Amino acid sequence: MHPGAWFVWALAAGAVAVGTTNPFYLVLLWAVSWTVYALCRRDNAGGDAWRIFVVFGLIALATRTALVFFGPVDAGSVVAAALEGLRLATLLVVFGTFNAVTDPFAVLRLAPRRWHEPALAAALALSIAPRMISAAGQVREAQRLRGIKVRKLAALPAVVVPVLATGMEEAVTLAESMDSRGHGRGTRTRYRPQPFAARSFAVTLGAFAAAGAFVALGVAGSGDATYQPWPLVWPGASAWMVLAVAALALPAAVPSGPREGGGAG
Amino acid sequence: MSDAVLFEGVTFTYPGAPAPVLAGVELELAAGSFVLVAGPTGAGKSTLVRAVNGLVPHFSGGTMSGRVSVHGRSTTEQPPRRLADLVAFVPQDPGAAFVLDRVEDELAYVMENLGVPGAVMRRRVEETLDLVGIEHLRDRSVTTLSGGERQRVAVAAALTAGPRVLVLDEPTSQLDPQGAEDVLAALQRLVHDLGMTVILAEHRLERVLGFVDVALACPGDGRVVAGSPRRAMDVLGSGPPVTRLGRRLAWDPLPLTVRDARRRAADLSLVPPAAGPPAAGEVVLEARRLRASYGERTVLSGVDFTLAAGEIVALMGRNGAGKTTLLRCLAGLHAPASGTVSGRVGPPVAGRDVALCPQTPESVLFRDTVGGEIDATLGAHLGGQGRDGVLADFGLTGLAARHPRDLSAGQRLLVATAAIAATGAGVLLLDEPTRGLDLEAKERLCAVLELKAGRGEAAVFATHDVELVAELATRVVILAGGEVIAAGGPGEVLGDSPVFAPQMARVFGPGWLTPEQVATALGVEARA
Repeated sequence: MHPGAWFVWALAAGAVAVGTTNPFYLVLLWAVSWTVYALCRRDNAGGDAWRIFVVFGLIALATRTALVFFGPVDAGSVVAAALEGLRLATLLVVFGTFNAVTDPFAVLRLAPRRWHEPALAAALALSIAPRMISAAGQVREAQRLRGIKVRKLAALPAVVVPVLATGMEEAVTLAESMDSRGHGRGTRTRYRPQPFAARSFAVTLGAFAAAGAFVALGVAGSGDATYQPWPLVWPGASAWMVLAVAALALPAAVPSGPREGGGAG
Repeated sequence: MSDAVLFEGVTFTYPGAPAPVLAGVELELAAGSFVLVAGPTGAGKSTLVRAVNGLVPHFSGGTMSGRVSVHGRSTTEQPPRRLADLVAFVPQDPGAAFVLDRVEDELAYVMENLGVPGAVMRRRVEETLDLVGIEHLRDRSVTTLSGGERQRVAVAAALTAGPRVLVLDEPTSQLDPQGAEDVLAALQRLVHDLGMTVILAEHRLERVLGFVDVALACPGDGRVVAGSPRRAMDVLGSGPPVTRLGRRLAWDPLPLTVRDARRRAADLSLVPPAAGPPAAGEVVLEARRLRASYGERTVLSGVDFTLAAGEIVALMGRNGAGKTTLLRCLAGLHAPASGTVSGRVGPPVAGRDVALCPQTPESVLFRDTVGGEIDATLGAHLGGQGRDGVLADFGLTGLAARHPRDLSAGQRLLVATAAIAATGAGVLLLDEPTRGLDLEAKERLCAVLELKAGRGEAAVFATHDVELVAELATRVVILAGGEVIAAGGPGEVLGDSPVFAPQMARVFGPGWLTPEQVATALGVEARA
């Protein structure tokens, strides 16, 4: 699949997540993301990092919910906070799926020149996450061998300090390597641009239509897209909007024909 | 001949450093030379090679005076990206420097940045794949490559821009002997066939001296002495085993390669040395019919291994032969699919009976003093020898109050090894402990292991460094494809191997290991 198609898919899924606090749609979007991840993931570190995005999502959910207890509390405000946390968590999972199915740097190469720097920063951040995750595993193991109890809070520096130091060193190495190889000189050409095949076209159109329909229906006020838990009753859901969210699983359904020549997708 | 690289009065000081690492350096390197940069760690080798494409000072910070120019273009006025069409740089750890996922895309990356037209890019990628001999890797993800493959892909990715100067920082430090030979042969072709100037910083002198025609010696006082490789060895007072032997026997000219030494040694006759008696200590670690796998991939298939008190065993074999996995199984970190590992009493407990030093031990350092690092381990264990004893063993007593990050790479590695070994475990496992270490740090590490072995402890180290094995190991185990294919004393195992033989065995025949051993034998002969 063309990285551009994945980019549109991620934007569409992100728009749906941002556009609702209804738990039915959000949970369905989790399931859709997981399906796409499971069937389309690439066999590399980016794919392995998906779980970490899920963990971060759960942390965001817990933190957002906990924050509400610092003010006046009623059942509705706890549910509302939890749903906002769920929305954030869903966004992270969508992001993690995007990271797992495509190469962030392949997407970076599509960015128009004026957007190159912010896109580069995003791609670097994404590529460093999986590296730091594997570094954390190695450091924990080595410190455990020294008899340092890595599970205790007091031992946190023993893991965090080396991981950050290694992460910084690797980021510098990557930045140096990119600069040494002419990154940021301005004029760019594309090596073997990947054809935008029928599958990519279908996914792009499908994602665009699904998100468009979802947001339009939500704005029109149907299907409880923005759910207010006062009074605390179950929200409704529109069959059409459920269908629109489910349609985002399209990339998992289109056959993943033979690998094309260029691009990593 | 025109100058490819010109240094005019270059002085460079890192931010916060008390003294300049390069002081008044004057250099003229002719186009088409194959240049070695040699010297101990921290003497400015990396700084020198990075100054050629402007990473120093543009990325390092610090203050620089003087002028560096490459084919007439100054690195002070132009950052590395502006020089990318002229100078290519391959860093020490190419794995961390890959930008794209697929090998073919990685090769094209620099050309995309230079705005090379599509058709030309296509042709150059194909040519470079053939030139470096990595056509079979084109569709692979860079994360799945072995050390040698990574290094060659990094070289190829640097070459597609058609640079006139190629700079490499320790290109063979992570490679097995054959992988290193392949990379160096590819570099030599670039010099011979394309007239490229190749500059490489390297510690493993025995591997590169036969290839290069100019050497820059960095003795550590800020000077850089340019000249023939022989002159550089004189300035540094070090060298590969043949050179050290030549120095002891006062040979003139000093031999640099096995061929040089063989010519000189033709009229010497030496009685092959008798192999030492096998170690007969108590068995401290034993593995039986060990099988291990990662997912679908079988890494060890039926390995038997024993370690006795007082032994220092070297584990050798190609990249990917299963050395690291065997060490991890011995340390109890990787559960074998079948077979057993047993220590003195029952299965060994990692951290108590066995200590394992991973490939990048520096990554365990987190305290702000050297002494603090040892305390962190001792505090956790409340046993073993005291902190001062550990520091003394590793020759670190004087550095106890220093910050580990302020030390040289070699010292830092010793600190990390000391921190790991401080658990008091009687068996120390080390995974490639001498990567990027200079001779001095290497000798220190050898001294520590021999001291520990003398006390009845034992060590196993995985390495590609044949000369280290010749000097240190009491026994050698060679792995291939997850099986033990040779085991025994270093003299018999390494002696007649075309790949693993140390320089002394190549000159004098199987059984000879170190220049000290040969010199002693010759001395005895002369007196008799």
